[in-house]
Amino acid sequence: MRRRVAPYFLLGPGAAWLLLFFVIPLYYLGKLSLNSGVFGSYEFSWHWENYSDALQLYDSQFVRSFVYAGLATLFALLLAYPLAYTIAFKAGRWRNVLLFAVVAPFFTTYLIRTLAWETILSDQSPVVSVLDAVGLAPEGHVLATAGAVIAGLTYNFLPFMVLPIYASLERIDVRLIEAGKDLYASASQTFFRVTLPLSAPGVVAGTLLTFIPASGDYVNAQFLGSANNQMIGNVIQSLYLKQSDYPAAAALSFVLMAAILILVLVYIRFAGSEALMGEEAV
Amino acid sequence: MASEKDPRRITALLAVLVATAALALGLAACGGGSDINGGDTESEEVKLEKKASGDVTISNWPLYIDKQTVPDFEKETGVSVKYIEDVNANEEFFAKMDPLLKQGDSGGRSLFVVTDWMANKMHELGYLQNFDKSALPNFEKNLVSNLREPKYDPNREFSAPWQSGMTGIIVRKDLAPDVKSICDLFDPKYKGKVEMLNELRDTVPLVMKCLGIDPEGASEEDWIKAIDKIKQASESGQIRRFTGNDYGGDLTSGNAVAVIGWSGDAVQLQADNPDIEWRMPTEGCILWSDNMVIPVGAPNPTAAEDFINYVYDPENQAQIEAYVNYVSPVESVKPILLKEEPEIAKNQLIFPSKSFTKNCTIQPSPTSEEEQNLNREFNAVLNG
Repeated sequence: MRRRVAPYFLLGPGAAWLLLFFVIPLYYLGKLSLNSGVFGSYEFSWHWENYSDALQLYDSQFVRSFVYAGLATLFALLLAYPLAYTIAFKAGRWRNVLLFAVVAPFFTTYLIRTLAWETILSDQSPVVSVLDAVGLAPEGHVLATAGAVIAGLTYNFLPFMVLPIYASLERIDVRLIEAGKDLYASASQTFFRVTLPLSAPGVVAGTLLTFIPASGDYVNAQFLGSANNQMIGNVIQSLYLKQSDYPAAAALSFVLMAAILILVLVYIRFAGSEALMGEEAV
Repeated sequence: MASEKDPRRITALLAVLVATAALALGLAACGGGSDINGGDTESEEVKLEKKASGDVTISNWPLYIDKQTVPDFEKETGVSVKYIEDVNANEEFFAKMDPLLKQGDSGGRSLFVVTDWMANKMHELGYLQNFDKSALPNFEKNLVSNLREPKYDPNREFSAPWQSGMTGIIVRKDLAPDVKSICDLFDPKYKGKVEMLNELRDTVPLVMKCLGIDPEGASEEDWIKAIDKIKQASESGQIRRFTGNDYGGDLTSGNAVAVIGWSGDAVQLQADNPDIEWRMPTEGCILWSDNMVIPVGAPNPTAAEDFINYVYDPENQAQIEAYVNYVSPVESVKPILLKEEPEIAKNQLIFPSKSFTKNCTIQPSPTSEEEQNLNREFNAVLNG
């Protein structure tokens, strides 16, 4: 008896929390998204046009969000994998220091970290002069361009990429890698046939943890972008706070959630499941 | 059974769910608002009293009062003030207050400060109380003459100006010496170095002036024409970005060399950086006021009126003015400041002369029918 109760007992608080702060608000959000009327007199009326309007009016911001988030995820992966690899296998006694350094940015708030990039990428800064000199700043400035927004996203979500990859690398049984070497695999063969597949779950988790919040982000676009770089999160924020068009904002939130869910499911289906199963499935 | 593989799958799925949930809730949180409790609910009784007492809650914009005025007022009247700086934008504040005000509840607030057009809108919706003028002798006596008869409140029955200001151009005179008009902001020479306010009623009327349209009594097409011009400039990269008052940082760093901005900010920025300068646009500026209003259901309106009366005393107003640097709506403040802070008293941005503001226009506002459409059009430009 007691054994059967225990799991539910342990699940209870988390489930209650999710119900109260996720499922119930989601229900109201869904209801709101089907309202019609003007601010002050919104009424529930199965107004599905909110959804078609959302897609029609803001399709370019949707595409932009996923492109920016996708690029940020790619860059974060390219930066994070070698970093996590170094921390897991090569850092020795520096491991904890380096791990701390990865997490350290969280000691400052998200907003301040993003604003710091405003200073780093300011037009007169040395960083921008260098980029300009090598032709990477065609408009003469970096701030208020897509590049700045993507760079900000990459930076802000990098730890979410590093930590899961590190965790999966760190758990790898070193004897498997040694076995690869013993069987005359070259260093790169060992890496691509042993280490990388074994760390795939970390890569999948890291890409998801980066891509999902990045596609809904609006802080980076607001501070580092121009009007031409605003993402879907900015539109939702503006609809809620500036235009008080709650139904449209709610519908957009739902479309965003659905779109992310679909993208992620497709990703898990094609790249993810294979990676998750790894060599074991063969 | 794939028992070995399952935990990993579950981990990944959990990651998806957690991240989706965090995203959804993060966005949902945008819509939230907070209620403020406080103040007496026995407003009827207090209203009958002659002398103010008890608690009063006042909502104002951030950094819009000096540190001393509230304690001084408390000492003089015995009223205990809860002063909160929770008005960040008219629309946002309205969205937060509307559900409450509709039910005759002010969320504990006895007084708050909103811009002309918002005061008008709230009055049209029946959300504001008329003043008891007999409780406001200072206001009756000291309100400056040019603000006595605004179109939306010709007898000043429900709105008392807190501060006024001008919207115009602020430049880096070392980097953009020849920007003198709104039209100059569209000069390709300054591509990517121009910023405009993300406020419909500040930016669009100024651009109308450049197009030769008189913003007063402009039609919906006139608004659209100006919005289209802004849109083109934004898409071409002429306009770097649209800002709130964070344009100050961009001017200081040189990221922007010419912006549409507010006069009070200009005073502050000029003081900190001699290269920054206000330019009265050759087409003229936009004149606006933020107003104290007493909402329906306000607890302790007597104390709120007492506060209005208090800040309309020139001595008390001078103290606020020396800190805030916008245009004071109170008569006879200038002579007081001439003695105490002559720099401020001589500043055209704080005490503008008639000739200085001769081309300026009182801030126009589209009708409520036009408003939704224009808001949508303008925000479509802001969001690219």
